[in-house]
Amino acid sequence: MNCTYKQMMAVALAREIEDGKTYIIGTGLPLIGGSLAKNTHAPHARLIFETGILEGNPQEVPTSVSDLRLNYQASVLWPQFRYFGYQTLAAARGEIDAGFLGGAQIDPYGNLNSTCIGDYRHPATRLSGSGGANGIATYCDTVIIMKHEKRRFVEKVDYCTSPGWIDGPDGRARHGLNPEKGPRAVITQYGVFRFGEQDKRMYLAEIFPGISVETVLENTGFALDVSRAVVAREPSDEVIRILEEKVDPARLMT
Amino acid sequence: MSETKVMTAEEAVAAFVHDGDCLALGGFSTNRRAYGLVREIIRQKKRGLCLESGSAGGDADMLIGAGCVAVMNISYIANSGFTMVCRRFRDAVEKGTLPVEDYSLDVQTIAYHAAALGLSYVAVKNMLGSDLEKEWGISEEERKKYPKLPAKKFVIAEDPFHPGSRLCLVPAPQIDVACIHVQKASPSGICRIEGAGFQDEDIAIAARHTIVSCEELVDDEEMRADPNANTLPGLCVSAVVPMRCGAHPSQCYGYYDYDPAAMIAYDKASRTQEGFDAFAEEYLTLSHEEYLARIGEEHLASLRVHPGCGYVPGLRRK
Repeated sequence: MNCTYKQMMAVALAREIEDGKTYIIGTGLPLIGGSLAKNTHAPHARLIFETGILEGNPQEVPTSVSDLRLNYQASVLWPQFRYFGYQTLAAARGEIDAGFLGGAQIDPYGNLNSTCIGDYRHPATRLSGSGGANGIATYCDTVIIMKHEKRRFVEKVDYCTSPGWIDGPDGRARHGLNPEKGPRAVITQYGVFRFGEQDKRMYLAEIFPGISVETVLENTGFALDVSRAVVAREPSDEVIRILEEKVDPARLMT
Repeated sequence: MSETKVMTAEEAVAAFVHDGDCLALGGFSTNRRAYGLVREIIRQKKRGLCLESGSAGGDADMLIGAGCVAVMNISYIANSGFTMVCRRFRDAVEKGTLPVEDYSLDVQTIAYHAAALGLSYVAVKNMLGSDLEKEWGISEEERKKYPKLPAKKFVIAEDPFHPGSRLCLVPAPQIDVACIHVQKASPSGICRIEGAGFQDEDIAIAARHTIVSCEELVDDEEMRADPNANTLPGLCVSAVVPMRCGAHPSQCYGYYDYDPAAMIAYDKASRTQEGFDAFAEEYLTLSHEEYLARIGEEHLASLRVHPGCGYVPGLRRK
């Protein structure tokens, strides 16, 4: 492969972004993916942030969704309550294509944990908490970024911070959530995972070049359908050049 | 000439922050956090605080490390980019010494806005179906010990206007005191926040008392010459504390970038309580002027944002 797996993840993230559509972006790799998309195939994609900073075009990698670097060429700096009102309304109207999330644990239905490992009241490891992730998972389609490890890909998350498909096709409707919205893809260092039309369970959709199906299965703590997997397309050298020279030259994230 | 609300940090905190208060902090993670006021709260050894903070940062973590916080409503706490999960917070929760209630940021933001609207609660769909709905960090019984906490985390109800649809009724917090850092304020308390406002306007309106620290103290007349640019009237402000670099080591739009060296140093120091205590001894016992002298004028000058881009280009952040 012509790039590192971290770079491949950024490329896979960028591929989830379509020109002219709107995406809710968090910091870290999602921002790199978003920025890469804007600098390549999707110059008119709109990136919005839960801090109320809308449509910024950062020239250096921001370390937080509140970073001053996000303000560059932004359309508006809203108070947060306005942003969350807009997010709810725009998602309901189908005007947000997807939100990008990360977490510490994920289960086969894309339920995501960013709160704690172990019992919630007596956690072995306490994490940062939901941030805006729960609201994004409540209202929007999501693309999830994970480190692929067996302890993170688990049958049942220790705490469901952000609801995915809950427990199957009717899970969201039963809990008062929009059944039309939910996790669309999971991107790890091994590949891209999607959710079955019928059963809403995670399956391996694309495997990155040089990764074996066995590696994926060994590092997944639940039964995973790999029968539909194809090998992911390598990025062009031009895309990697843009990623290295323009998007993240300081190599903060990739 | 109207009365002046200008005070030193010492006077403002002594007058308006009391043991056991519900305290809300402004800013977001590493941007415009009221560090200067927080250091003064620690200096005065305030205890038993009920902490509200939408997207908290190292300032909230310092309050926890210094033993000021009894209970916390939380959605997120990190020095994003430097510390993934604030360490004194994490340690206190893992040891079981800090009861916390988890919400999502969207819910906290909406609840603070509800508080600023004078509402008792707000009805949302957020949190439904997740463990934010199923798990309570603090039970109804335990809540009796904390008079500043609402009696319940929330109530689930049917939407009276859309039968069959569930809603989560979230109580609006009753904030005693808000601490925010702004760019400009006048002696009568008129405030101007430049750049992203986050939740500051709402918590300042909702709080019984708001303490504002400011980069620049500006004449009332000058502020009144452009009311459209102002965020808060003095009516919502109890104290104005002139405090240059009062948000250091976080960012302040139009003034300075975050201080990566200070963020990384705190990340290291806060790994253990002993490390934190040594850090507190060195930095959290100082007056603001002493603190700035310890950080160094030359270093502070290197963090000044560049006109045109609004941050320090090429700032070393690793």
